[in-house]
Formats: sequence, C-alpha cells, structure tokens
Amino acid sequence: MRFCVSSQVVRLAYIKGRVHGLNKPIERVLWCQIKLDEPLKPEPGQFVMLWIPGQGEIPLSISDYSVDEGILELVIAKVGKVTTYIHERLKEGDLVALRGPYGRGFSVVRESTCLIVAGGCGLAPFPFLVRKLLEARSSVDVILGFKTASEVFHVAKFVHLARRTFVATDDGSYGLKGTVVDVIKDVVDIKGYDIVYVCGKEKMMKAVVDLCREHNVRCEASLERYMKCGIGICGACVLDPLGLRVCRDGPVFSSTILALIEDFGQSWRDHCGRKIPIPES
Amino acid sequence: MSVHTEVALAGLRLRNPLILASGILGSTASLLVRAGSAGAGAVTTKSITKEPRSGFENPVIYELEYGLLNAIGLANPGMDFFKKELKRAKQLLRIPLIASVAGSRPEEYADLAARAEEAGADAVELNLSCPHVKGMGLDVGHDPKLVREIVEAVKGSVNCPVLAKLSPNVTNIVEVGKAAIDGGADVLVAINTVRAMVIDVDSKKPVLSNKYGGLSGPAIHPIAVRCVYELYEAVGDTVPIIGVGGVMDWRDAVELMLAGARAVGIGTALYTYGLKAFKVILKGIVNYVKEQGFRNLMDITGLAHKYS
Ligand SMILES: Cc1cc2nc3c(=O)[nH]c(=O)nc-3n(C[C@H](O)[C@H](O)[C@H](O)COP(=O)(O)OP(=O)(O)OC[C@H]3O[C@@H](n4cnc5c(N)ncnc54)[C@H](O)[C@@H]3O)c2cc1C
Ligand SMILES: Cc1cc2nc3c(=O)[nH]c(=O)nc-3n(C[C@H](O)[C@H](O)[C@H](O)COP(=O)(O)O)c2cc1C
Ligand code: FES
Repeated sequence: MRFCVSSQVVRLAYIKGRVHGLNKPIERVLWCQIKLDEPLKPEPGQFVMLWIPGQGEIPLSISDYSVDEGILELVIAKVGKVTTYIHERLKEGDLVALRGPYGRGFSVVRESTCLIVAGGCGLAPFPFLVRKLLEARSSVDVILGFKTASEVFHVAKFVHLARRTFVATDDGSYGLKGTVVDVIKDVVDIKGYDIVYVCGKEKMMKAVVDLCREHNVRCEASLERYMKCGIGICGACVLDPLGLRVCRDGPVFSSTILALIEDFGQSWRDHCGRKIPIPES
Repeated sequence: MSVHTEVALAGLRLRNPLILASGILGSTASLLVRAGSAGAGAVTTKSITKEPRSGFENPVIYELEYGLLNAIGLANPGMDFFKKELKRAKQLLRIPLIASVAGSRPEEYADLAARAEEAGADAVELNLSCPHVKGMGLDVGHDPKLVREIVEAVKGSVNCPVLAKLSPNVTNIVEVGKAAIDGGADVLVAINTVRAMVIDVDSKKPVLSNKYGGLSGPAIHPIAVRCVYELYEAVGDTVPIIGVGGVMDWRDAVELMLAGARAVGIGTALYTYGLKAFKVILKGIVNYVKEQGFRNLMDITGLAHKYS
C-alpha cells in the first residue's frame, strides 16, 4: 500500500535534521539552514510542516534546497508563538523534525521570460524557483517590495541570479519609491513576460493577478491559510466556492483558478473555521 | 445484467453506498459539494458543537504507514455559523446531507440536531465516539444509559433519521449499539477512530499536542469488520449499519458489507488516493457484486453470517 499526496509518494513520519546555519538578515526575519537526515524531492512553491517538540508545528515554504548537500533553507518571520520560540531559542546543531514536502508548487517553465513579484517575507519560496527556472533556461526578472529600508533583506540572493532585480519600498527609503504594483505599472512592461509569479500579502497578490489578467499574461500566486493537517483532510484551509484546499490543491494557484475563487483577496477562516475578512495589513 | 447501486437507509435513498465519513473534508459546503461531485452516495459534515471550537494546537495529525493518527479536537465553527454552510450545502447537493453533531448532554444533542434539521440536513449523526475530547464524544458514548437518553432526546426533537456513531473503544460495542436502538436510533454507524498514541524517540515526547489521538485507516479495518459483524449478529436487518474504518479499496468495503453493513463510510482513503477514491471503490464493488451473480449491492449485506 502506498500513501500519496498529489500523486507523488510522500515520506511518512517526521524527517529529522539538524540546524546547520542561522542568521538574522533583519530583526524580524530568521534565515535557517537545516541539514536533513534523508533526501527530499521538493518542487519550488511546496511547503513543509516544521515541528518544534513541545511548541507546535507550522507550515513554511521551502526557500531553497540543495540536493548535493541535503540542506533545506527556510525564511521565518517572527509573528507569534512558534515563530518567536524559533527566533529566540533555536541554535545551530539543534534537532528539528518536519513532514512534507506538501502541496502543488509553481510551474517551472522552460526557455521563457519570467517575472517574480514578492512582498516582504513573500520572497521566501523564490530563491528555489529562480534556480529551477534558470536550470530550465528561462530568464528571470525580480521585483521585491518592502515597507522601509530597515525591512529590506535577501536582495543579494536575487541580484546575482536574476537578469534584473528591482527593489521598492513604500516610503522610498531604499530603491524605488512605491509598491510592487507601482513598479509593475511604471517600470517594467508586463506584456513582455510569459509568466508572472507572485507571493506576499493577499491584497497585493490580488492586484497583481488582476493586472496580469487585464494584459492576458499567465500568472501564479502562492496563498496562505491557517493550516492544521497540511494533507488535505481537515478542511481548515479551504477556499470557497470551489472547495479547493490550499495545503493540497495549492498553495500555488493559477490566475484562471483564482478568478473563480471568491475568497481570494477577501476572506479566510479563523482557527474554528469561521470565515473572516482578511485584515488590511 | 446491470447492478443496482442504490441503497435504502432508514428513509434515505442513496445512489450508492459510499458515504463521506465525518471529519474528512466535511467542514464547509464547498467541500461537501466537492465530495458529492466526486461520486459520494451521501455526505457527512464534520461534527458540529454548540460553541465554536478551535481544536487542539498543531501537531494534530501524524501520518503512519498503516493509517493516520489525529487529534483535531473537534475544531468547528459552532452551529450558529455552520447553519449557513448547511443551508448552502442543501441547496447545491443532489444527495443526502448528514449533519454530525457532538455534545455532552442529551438536551444539547437534541438542540443541535433540531437546528441542523432546520437548516436542511436530511439526517443527523450523533458523534458518541470521538476518542480525544474531554466530556464529549466517547466520554458520553461509553455509557449505554447516557447513549439511550441522548438518542431519545434527539428523536424527540427531529423528524429526520437519527444515526448513532459508535466507538470501538468500549468493552462491548453491542451493548452501546442496543442502547442506541432502545433510544430509537434509525441507523448505527461503526466505527470511529481507535484511541492511540505515537511517541517521537528523539525528543521523547508524544507527537500530538493532545498526546492522545484517534487512529484511522488500514490499521483499524479489521477492528471495524469485527464491530460491524458483532452488531449485525445482534440486530440483524432491524436497524441498518454503516460500516466505517480503513476502507481503502473495494475489497475492504465488500468485507464490511458481508459483515453486515448496508453502506460504507470513506475517510482516510481520501487522503491516500484523493477524491477519486469514491469512484474507484464503487466500481470495484459493482464488479464484485456482478461477478457473484447478485443484482443489488444491498444483497450482499450480512452474507458472512450465512456462511459462518
Ligand atoms: C503554505 C504556507 C507557507 C508559509 N511559508 C512561510 C514562510 O516561508 N515563512 C514564514 O515566515 N511564514 C510562512 N508561512 C506563515 C507561517 O506558517 C505562520 O507565520 C506561522 O504558522 C505562525 O505561527 P506562530 O505560532 O508563530 O503564530 P501564531 O501565534 O499561531 O499566530 C500569529 C498571528 O497570526 C494570526 N493568523 C495567521 N494566519 C491566520 C489565519 N489564517 N486566520 C486567522 N488568524 C491568522 C494569528 O491569529 C495570530 O495573530 C506560511 C504559511 C503557509 C500556509
Ligand atoms: C482527521 C479526522 C477527523 C475526524 N473527525 C471526526 C468527527 O468530527 N466526527 C466523527 O464522528 N468522526 C470523525 N472522524 C472519524 C471518521 O469519521 C472515521 O470514523 C474514521 O476515520 C475511520 O474511518 P477511515 O479509516 O475510513 O478514516 C475523523 C477522522 C479523521 C481521520
Ligand atoms: S490544512 Fe487540513 S485541509 Fe488543508
């Protein structure tokens, strides 16, 4: 008997690994390398459930993965209970456990011209995607948006891989002044891209998806919802009205599908499953 | 010769005997509808309580080679919110909608059931068997007297069929099943998950935040077969039985039917194989029934008793 998710056979039980490298590019963000005991076969855009015994288990995007070294990279923003514990207590050499990789990731298109759009920590899944796109002989432009200069991080990771990297801050304290949407409208020619990938706050993603639809450009967005099981059975992460599960049918969805999802950019569910509006910030 | 897949279940007519089990995908109208479109004969909602419950903290699930261990903790938005989902599901579904409810006192079950029926449920299932929430489910479902009182109270508050979902975590499931029937249960559902635990050897801690959970999937299938067999032996065809537990393929489903189940619940298989499980399993059952020379899927219910 085989247990499968999205027609790929997944590993059962937690995969163990040790914290290999830790670094805080900015106060709010931890960059973490984990050397795994067993090899993974992740796709860009997939996620893992990271378990910190006694603290909790949270979904995190695979930020990068090196097959040769078996090293997984995560980008972890400090927002609440588990992430704060990770920020304050995790040390090099610590044993961690994770399950996955789960979900459907980004399409890695061949020999195409691609644009990546990321807001803040939404850049997490993109280092891995950029490498995979380059391996597929595609060229990649990147737009990174942050609130202000003190929040800017990981720019160098993209600059040396991407054809062009644009950085924008809301207050203009670093790079261009404005949002990523402003950069798309004013600086690049969106019609020149075969595909646009976006990750960040959902209202921003909605604006980018709408812009792409307007110009008939293919687009994929990576969504976030509160997750419990991560494997598509509990219903915590469902999107109406199609009943799509972010953990199993996503987290990456195409703009064609997103056009049919009334929850996109509008609402998500709290821990009990009640639908609530997505907060503005 | 074609085979009739319809089954009658205490006044409910199902186009086929495969029912979405409670707690798997049943948390929203959209997911219930998706299960319906995938081929389910009926769908059961996640168990709904009076108040909203956020459930236990993660980890709430653990994947094993032979099944799933879960302690979701009856996370649900509460009946006030869920009535909207039930209404919507009822509007969109062409198959019976079973609302599962969980509580701790007879009046609470009765009130929840009445509200579920009012919102459009075609039947109510009483969760008397969740193995990991204090004061609910199994905590009430191991006491035959209380089970009888709960079913009686619910029967007094609704007109639709009442399903009693039983736990394998009792010494004598037949005693509880009979108590439910004495209270007026129209259908017995067996089984819920089996109380279990997994410990991580590196951290030396139970994996689930709640420590204990419920085991589902292939590991519990033989337990489900035994429970259904015992119940059928005791009640025969007087009250139909829905067999649930580790149905991964048509063979597992047929086994439960031979043991005495008229319909079969599907849960963990939807994790393992996705929503296509409904169609694949149904096709296998139909082939079996045809090859065995029967005309109705219902004809094989309880046959194992005849030959044993
Ligand atoms: C597929 C996926 C990939 C992710 N990848 C990353 C990543 O690469 N890097 C990263 O830093 N984060 C990522 N996240 C987010 C991350 O999982 C959360 O930040 C983390 O779970 C928070 O845990 P916590 O215990 O620290 O916070 P908690 O204490 O649990 O919560 C922090 C705050 O967020 C609120 N909240 C968050 N989501 C919801 C929601 N849906 N409904 C209601 N309230 C909500 C909580 O109520 C609370 O106020 C990802 C999430 C998903 C679903
Ligand atoms: C994640 C999960 C959640 C469940 N939630 C409920 C529930 O809310 N109410 C209930 O009566 N049973 C619940 N169950 C039990 C199932 O309905 C079913 O009885 C059990 O899983 C055995 O069937 P299976 O092996 O086909 O999964 C749940 C099971 C799982 C795996
Ligand atoms: S988190 Fe359980 S279905 Fe997605």
